[in-house]
Amino acid sequence: MINVTKFIYEPGEHEAEKASNSYLMSLIALIAGLPLPIINLLATLIFYLGNRKGTYFVRWHCTQALLSQLSVLFINSYGFWWTVSIIFTSQSVTNNYIAYIIAAIIFNLTEFIATIYTAIQTRKGIHVEWWFYGSLSNLICKSES
Amino acid sequence: MKKIFTQGIIIIVLFFSTWFVLRQVNWMTFFKIHKVANKTEEKLGELFWDIFEKSEKENINPFVASSIDSIVTKICSENDINKQTIKVHLFDKDEINAFALPNGHLLIYSGLVLASDNQEELSGVICHEIAHIQLNHVMKKLIKEVGLSVLISMTTGQGGTEIIKETAKLLSSSAFDRSLEKEADIKAIEYLINAKINPEPFANFLYKLSQNEHEAMKYLSWTNTHPASKERAEYIIEYSKNKKTKYEPILSMDTWGKLKEKLKE
Repeated sequence: MINVTKFIYEPGEHEAEKASNSYLMSLIALIAGLPLPIINLLATLIFYLGNRKGTYFVRWHCTQALLSQLSVLFINSYGFWWTVSIIFTSQSVTNNYIAYIIAAIIFNLTEFIATIYTAIQTRKGIHVEWWFYGSLSNLICKSES
Repeated sequence: MKKIFTQGIIIIVLFFSTWFVLRQVNWMTFFKIHKVANKTEEKLGELFWDIFEKSEKENINPFVASSIDSIVTKICSENDINKQTIKVHLFDKDEINAFALPNGHLLIYSGLVLASDNQEELSGVICHEIAHIQLNHVMKKLIKEVGLSVLISMTTGQGGTEIIKETAKLLSSSAFDRSLEKEADIKAIEYLINAKINPEPFANFLYKLSQNEHEAMKYLSWTNTHPASKERAEYIIEYSKNKKTKYEPILSMDTWGKLKEKLKE
């Protein structure tokens, strides 16, 4: 699922730090705003907007961090509103609901682990491309040269 | 581009198949959810029952108890309802009211029996309340009105007696959602027909009470809390129209007359 490839140029120390921060941003926001699924997306979005003018390596990793948040956003929002409807309306806890929440936890956990791993690797200047999100970032984020 | 698209689809499929596979496991038993819910309901039933038992006078006349019991037993046995789960209590009170408490307690006021012109009318109201119990409306209503956290704190003894009293009042004097009422009405007709009791008098009873003509109108509570009785009477008639069943009374005319007399005393 995770591919370590050579980036088109060797990123500098400063770039590696910034790129790694984009992943850390989503992790911190995830811990802070756990019940509200939108918070980590907003945090990565702000970081992305702030680094739009950054170097290619930084921009690329900000894009990947942002995109990876999108899919869990959908999963978590659905789970979040489902939970709200159980607490506040006459809906009750069903087998279906518990299965959904467990599936959501598995996906979030996978994403969480992958994010930590990528943050560490990018800090060392190693370029890590995720399955699907990496290719998507390649498509969106183009080198200026 | 095509590769990205396929990868995206795979991720979506992966999520849904994980969900699907996880659905095969019976999580409700795994986490003992029903057990916890039943325990809470049992505890709440006891709490509320205590309040009514202390504040009101229960009719313990054996003739009255056995007559009401015959009706309930007949309804339960014809509808595969475990009679043990329904605990019927009759109170001496002029109010025309009957209501359900958690854990299958069914409370009937003598005013309701006296206001019924025949046993079918009374059976209709009893069926309606049994339907609320069977469809788990009581707990649904409580969770919606007071919230699960308050309910659980009551069962652990942290809820004040005032809150418990207020909640008990809520159960005896306010209606369920319109949709839940309709669901209970329709279920009640099903119960009545299965028990070979004519559902039409039940509709008439509602209609009669909505007409404001009844002598006991000043005590009216069951229909005050159950809105639009006229509309309900209409759909009950509509629903029971095409059922061709031979109806037979549960109590003899004699017993029914004697029951009312005993309650008037």
